[in-house]
Amino acid sequence: MAEEFNTESMLDMFLYESGQLLEKLEGIILEKQDADCFDDADINEIFRVMHTIKGSSGVLMYENITKVTHKLEDVFYYLRESHPDDVPHMELVEKVLAVSDFVTGELDKLKNGDTPDGDEKQLVEDLDEFLGRLKGEIKKQGIEMPQANRHVEPTQFYITPVAGDDSHFYRISIHYRSDTQMSNLRAYSATYALKEVAEDLLYTPDDILSNEASADVIVAEGFHMLLQTKSSKEEVIALIDSSEAEEINFDELSKEEYGRALGEFGREEAEPVAAAPADSKDEKNKEAKKEGPKPGDYVVKTKEAGKGKTLAKNQPKQQSIISVNVEKMDALMDLIGELVIAEAVVLQNPDLKVPGLELSNFQKASGQLSKITTELQEVIMSMRMMPLTNTFQKMRRIVFDVSRKLGKDIELEVVGENTEVDKNIIEHITDPLMHLVRNSVDHGIEEDAADRTAVGKPAKGKITLEAKNEGGKVYISVKDDGKGLNKDKLYQKALEKGLIENKPINEFTDKEIFRFITLPGFSTKEEVTEYSGRGVGMDVVVKNIQSISGRLDISSVEFEGSEMTLVIPLTLAIINGIVVQVGNSPFVIETASIKEFVRVGEDSLISEPSGEEYIVLRGECYPFIRLNERYDLPDSNDKIEEGIIVVLEHEGSQVCVLIDKLLQEQEIVVKPIPPYVRKVKGLSGCTQLGDGSIALILDIAGLLMHDGERR
Amino acid sequence: MKILLAEDDFASRKFMDKQLSRYGECDVMVDGEEAVDAFMMALEDGEPYDLACLDVMMPVMDGYQVLKAIRDIEAQKGIPKSKRVKVIMTTALNDERNVKMAFELGCEAYAGKPIDVEKFEKVLTKLGLI
Repeated sequence: MAEEFNTESMLDMFLYESGQLLEKLEGIILEKQDADCFDDADINEIFRVMHTIKGSSGVLMYENITKVTHKLEDVFYYLRESHPDDVPHMELVEKVLAVSDFVTGELDKLKNGDTPDGDEKQLVEDLDEFLGRLKGEIKKQGIEMPQANRHVEPTQFYITPVAGDDSHFYRISIHYRSDTQMSNLRAYSATYALKEVAEDLLYTPDDILSNEASADVIVAEGFHMLLQTKSSKEEVIALIDSSEAEEINFDELSKEEYGRALGEFGREEAEPVAAAPADSKDEKNKEAKKEGPKPGDYVVKTKEAGKGKTLAKNQPKQQSIISVNVEKMDALMDLIGELVIAEAVVLQNPDLKVPGLELSNFQKASGQLSKITTELQEVIMSMRMMPLTNTFQKMRRIVFDVSRKLGKDIELEVVGENTEVDKNIIEHITDPLMHLVRNSVDHGIEEDAADRTAVGKPAKGKITLEAKNEGGKVYISVKDDGKGLNKDKLYQKALEKGLIENKPINEFTDKEIFRFITLPGFSTKEEVTEYSGRGVGMDVVVKNIQSISGRLDISSVEFEGSEMTLVIPLTLAIINGIVVQVGNSPFVIETASIKEFVRVGEDSLISEPSGEEYIVLRGECYPFIRLNERYDLPDSNDKIEEGIIVVLEHEGSQVCVLIDKLLQEQEIVVKPIPPYVRKVKGLSGCTQLGDGSIALILDIAGLLMHDGERR
Repeated sequence: MKILLAEDDFASRKFMDKQLSRYGECDVMVDGEEAVDAFMMALEDGEPYDLACLDVMMPVMDGYQVLKAIRDIEAQKGIPKSKRVKVIMTTALNDERNVKMAFELGCEAYAGKPIDVEKFEKVLTKLGLI
């Protein structure tokens, strides 16, 4: 397995490796679920996976896992050796999935620190029975019976340590009263009491027993201890004798802080005990990998006075991949955002605008700086990108399970699973996507295949899961070729439940009607099934998606199918924007939503008596908004010829706004509008510009909505 | 059954001694060198140990060195594999690399500390010791 994980403990290694193998296994199975049988390569692979898990679970003595995997290994052994025909493929697929689920369940228990105590008997019996039939089949077909699969009992065992609570790390400082006698002995008794519960204990000054002068140091500077223990804070405090103590400071540390604190205490965090010179005749040592541990690495040196025994656990190792806490990545991301702003502040500093400055060297240097910050942004973004492969893999399983349960014959097509998305976003879309896929299987595809053939569709249902990356957005769509949405039914239902205003159906657009299904409490299915139909699904989906500033598009044609598309920004924090000015206020418009800039004359303007205005461009009529009027901005120009018209587009609808002038194009770090400012429609956030001023970011969707409501 | 226990930490030593004494006579050593000496002595007396429990972090020689020394001595004396002393490493060093190395050096089992007594006993059964 991958080199980078070899610092993990045995158990972690087992969990990781088995998890990977099972994932691979499921991949193979689901890919071949519709085939007539597994080909040789698959059989070999499944055999190998089972063999590996059986072996390692045997060494770790998880007997139920060993038994189950052993049985399945046997099944595939016979398949591999005898190539029997007429293997009931579907049943075999189910058996493999059952085993995979069982093992996954047990692994989960282990991960949570529980004992893997699942009962394997039923499963083993089922497999036995299946194997029996298989053998009968082999005999009947006159194929020579292979020798029984020889099962080699493991001869080496690994006994996992008793699972305990996680260790706590504390820093304890005791300050004694200045007249305390023999404070060093008091300190010693404190350390002695703590040794009972300590897994690791370090203190300073460290020569408290052998050096009487340490008493003065303790009184003057206090006595400091670092403690690693499984006991709680209260238990530890109870152990320390607090008489004579003036003050006891008690801090709980995280593991990293503890490591750092160890350094301050004069011990290296990862200090391997010096190795005794290895036997010179020892040839095996030379063969051993250089960085691997060797016999002799763990000889304990005689304890130095007052120092606890050093654990040689974390030897420095060479690694090519490290795993990083997501919080640290987020912090780095924020910092880079700040850096981008700071860069703009420097490069567009008003001081540079003094006429007559010789700036050619400065320009050269600043060009270099911009290049690096841009690269920096790209690197941090790419570090956070992950392909959707795993997420889509899960969907395969859901389609398989649900369609089997409901007795529907459904094929799943996956397109673009290598599309990369920000990690945060992946976490947010997995659940919504799961809902959508389930809905498609459950409600989308017709119950009865005859209903399908009647309208000329193939009997087998089809669901397409597609991901693509376009214009800074990710589109993930779930498309089914099922019965589609019935607009009248949706309308009736929404009306009955009182979810919408009482308006005739023709006043709603198709999109609006489809969107009814995302209203809380809406479910058109009469019966609630195991998988969906509780009426909570879709509104939760929409909420989740909106929380990452995405949206859900629904389109459907009755009898032909429906398509649900999640549109999500590729990244949340940095956008490319155009800075414009209205009056004295700068605004930012996301570049992707700008269709064009035009200058038009007064004659293109149509004013309605109600005060609404429209602009006619090349024969098309667009709603027109004057930003200065909308936001009461003084000192701006009102004349259309002198300003610039920006045509904005959002979800297929357009709007024109009037601005005074264009300032620049810039990478914009989006900051939310602080909560103490009242929420204003049409503004989605703010950012800091080069000269330090704050610019508001226009929210096109908000502008459009506001415009619609006004009318 | 004759048992060799090598363990430098007092508390662990006491615990292991108590556990192991249920199965047979237990000789207790406090460092790696002593363990090898005891092993040699028993071999020469014609009463070899059936089981050796070795701590890894010990003074003078660590558990891996002891394990290697024991296997080397056995190889030199031409003791067949089935007659070799069964070795169980007992340590908190549960890195996969350490465990693998110990298996390569020829130990029968690797017990992570704190020791799971139930499993420990199961292993003794599997090894045919009790």
